[in-house]
Amino acid sequence: MPTSRTAPRRILLGVVGAAAAIALSACGGVKTTSSGGGEGEYPTGNIEFSVGASAGGSTDLITRALAQGIGKELGVSTPVLNKPGANGALNAKELQAAKPDGYKIAVQNASLFTITPLTVSAAEATKIDSFDVITGISRDDYVMATSTQSGYKSIDDLKKAGKTIRYGTTGVGTGAQLASALTFKSAGVESTAVPFDGGAPNLTALLGNQVDVSTMQIGEAIENIKGGKLVPLAVFSQERIPFLPDVKTAKEQGYDVLVTQYRFLTAPKGTPENVKAKLLDAAKKTFATQEYKKFNEDNSLTPMEVSPQEVLTSLQNDSATFKAQLDKFGINLAG
Amino acid sequence: MDISPILDGFGVVLEPTNLLYCLIGVIIGMLIGVLPGLGPGATIAILLPITYGIGPVSAIIMLAGIFYGAQYGGTITSVLLRLPGEASSVVTVFDGFALAKQGKAGTALGIAAIGSFIGGTVSIIGLTLVAPVVAGFALDFGPPEYAALGILGVLLISSIGNGNKLKAIIAACIGLLIATVGRDTFTGAERFTFGSLNLAEGIDFIPIAMGLFGLSEILYNLEERHNKVHSPAKVGNVWPSRKDLGQAKGAIGRGSLIGFVLGVLPGGGAVLSSLAAYALEKRRAKQPERFGRGAVEGVAAPETANNAAATSSFIPLLTLGIPANATMALMFGALLIQGIQPGPQLVTEHPDVFWGVVNSMYIGNILLLIMSIPMVGVFVRILRVRPAIMAPITVLITLLGAYTVRNQVYDIFLVIVFGVLGYLMKKFGFEPGPLVLAFVLGSMIESSARQGLLIFGGDPTGFFTRPISGTVFALVVIVAAWPLIRKAIRRKPTDRVEEKIS
Repeated sequence: MPTSRTAPRRILLGVVGAAAAIALSACGGVKTTSSGGGEGEYPTGNIEFSVGASAGGSTDLITRALAQGIGKELGVSTPVLNKPGANGALNAKELQAAKPDGYKIAVQNASLFTITPLTVSAAEATKIDSFDVITGISRDDYVMATSTQSGYKSIDDLKKAGKTIRYGTTGVGTGAQLASALTFKSAGVESTAVPFDGGAPNLTALLGNQVDVSTMQIGEAIENIKGGKLVPLAVFSQERIPFLPDVKTAKEQGYDVLVTQYRFLTAPKGTPENVKAKLLDAAKKTFATQEYKKFNEDNSLTPMEVSPQEVLTSLQNDSATFKAQLDKFGINLAG
Repeated sequence: MDISPILDGFGVVLEPTNLLYCLIGVIIGMLIGVLPGLGPGATIAILLPITYGIGPVSAIIMLAGIFYGAQYGGTITSVLLRLPGEASSVVTVFDGFALAKQGKAGTALGIAAIGSFIGGTVSIIGLTLVAPVVAGFALDFGPPEYAALGILGVLLISSIGNGNKLKAIIAACIGLLIATVGRDTFTGAERFTFGSLNLAEGIDFIPIAMGLFGLSEILYNLEERHNKVHSPAKVGNVWPSRKDLGQAKGAIGRGSLIGFVLGVLPGGGAVLSSLAAYALEKRRAKQPERFGRGAVEGVAAPETANNAAATSSFIPLLTLGIPANATMALMFGALLIQGIQPGPQLVTEHPDVFWGVVNSMYIGNILLLIMSIPMVGVFVRILRVRPAIMAPITVLITLLGAYTVRNQVYDIFLVIVFGVLGYLMKKFGFEPGPLVLAFVLGSMIESSARQGLLIFGGDPTGFFTRPISGTVFALVVIVAAWPLIRKAIRRKPTDRVEEKIS
């Protein structure tokens, strides 16, 4: 056995090294072809859209709808690449470091910049200054719902219940958690958060009566609301939501809680003006198509196709408001 | 029950275009199942844009075909190359790979194909007849129940290994520890991430399984080859004998039932079902020591169960709008792209989609069985390829497969790290199976137990007073105490099972 101790090790290292090298160069190859080159008028090559979430979720679907439209307008391929991890922070870090040439862009979530920083260390928080915002896209609102058996119809009913309300959320540092925590605190309702890993398990727990109420994105709840399995208690937008016109806002019910998720198109900081203008123009044309409008409606998304400046203002206001409200009520999202 | 929509559904499926998409789906599924690492999830994500252009029913029929087709294909690599592409086929590796080494790969693959077909079909019949009832059952399972099931699962792991019990427990503990890596989902606190965002969401199953099973096996063989004269792997019979079938019959029947029931549970349903089916067969066997050394039932039970589970995992999606696993989440997305919201209204609002998909699975399963039979002969020949050629190709495909999960080079390095770990484990006589399975169940146990405690307001007695979780915990106690009980009954000196390394 000890006769050829070194030989296999060398082969082993060689194989591993070679395989890694091949794999790495393969990836490198993909990158160079997709970044189009600098000659000619933008875009001369594929525009890659990266998504900081798994395929199939709202961010992914919105990216795909938008990428398809932009690709059609600009006459180039727009591959969508999912890079889930750390609530989208991993993808953000990668985008931040990418060449600002308009060939690598991404749809990002407001919560990554307004809510996540409230739960992670300052060094880890993603900052909007590292990106150029191209345009706002759409709003994806939250609804607090309960199962039909519970008998609750409004936030006040929860107050009258006189017991500790256990509420499901889609995770720590999400808008769902923030909206619920703020509501219960300002209503003076004793409550415990039960965080689930995403929308599906949260919905399962609510339907199975494992928790009293849950807050989730409207798109996740709407079918079960229409099917009579869930009763909506409140939405957290400024005004009522067209998809659920009978549901009162938290504000209408006397609780000043405004939490909403919105998404916007971003590029690495320092992307040339003409490139940004091209992308904005293509995005606007996409927004105007019937197909895209139907997509928004099917997914309970409210258009928020606003200017970069408005996106930045919203982000700043939300960050400040959330921080102030959490401090006021002494809430720590990280539990 | 009104059967006309079901019959209409068959009408939809039998349209030539839909039949074609079903065929395309199962072929793609089978092929990607064979490529380790590249699972149905990644494939469906890649193919999503294609579905924009075709009708909703055809699109979903095709994607569903990819999903259950991949379950068939996944068996092939588990048996031939010791590469489980999904957590639910880890258990298949034990006896499947052992059979392949004895030149009986054909037996293993044949039994798996037949078991998969029967399991799948039983599950579709269940889906057709009792979907709404079973969906309600899924909702009765809350965090406390999952915690109980997870603990039962870990207990079963320690009983399925064939080597040293203590080493199996040590490996399982390491698996549980690896499961704690990542951002705490309850507080956002970083755990063992060393400041790396790549580790923030924990480690994925794929790099771990690809490294510990696939890469480690290759590394180990490279060493072996220099130590002894290499003989090409025998390829014996390519089809299970009548005796094999007789032996597997019971396992297939029980596996179908276990798979159908547990598959409905979102989360770890498929893994638990394959684990439970295997453990049950081993317990029932007259000579349990055959397991892990090439028992036909050891392949039949988990493969039947995981296919049945794959099919029944459609139930929560189609009846409640809840995706049971990552691939189902993609199906959910694909339906949304088509403007269809999966949920309780789906059967009434889009009966063509619901019954079209359900009925296409009957046909897809038949297609897969027909394709599998000649394919077994072809795939078995892979074993004749010289390792010097096969090994680098396998490594390359494995690494690429791991890359496709998150499109991160980081995951390629993880495979290598776990490959080296797996190699060392094998050298010192540790099995990777307990580690991988404990890893999968570990995160489920932790989050469910903590959610359970939050729901109970911190009072742990709730775990034992709820009917389902209480029953499962009772089962845990019985399983844990079983060796003692048996010892007391038999009073026979237990001979030490010799450690098996190869």
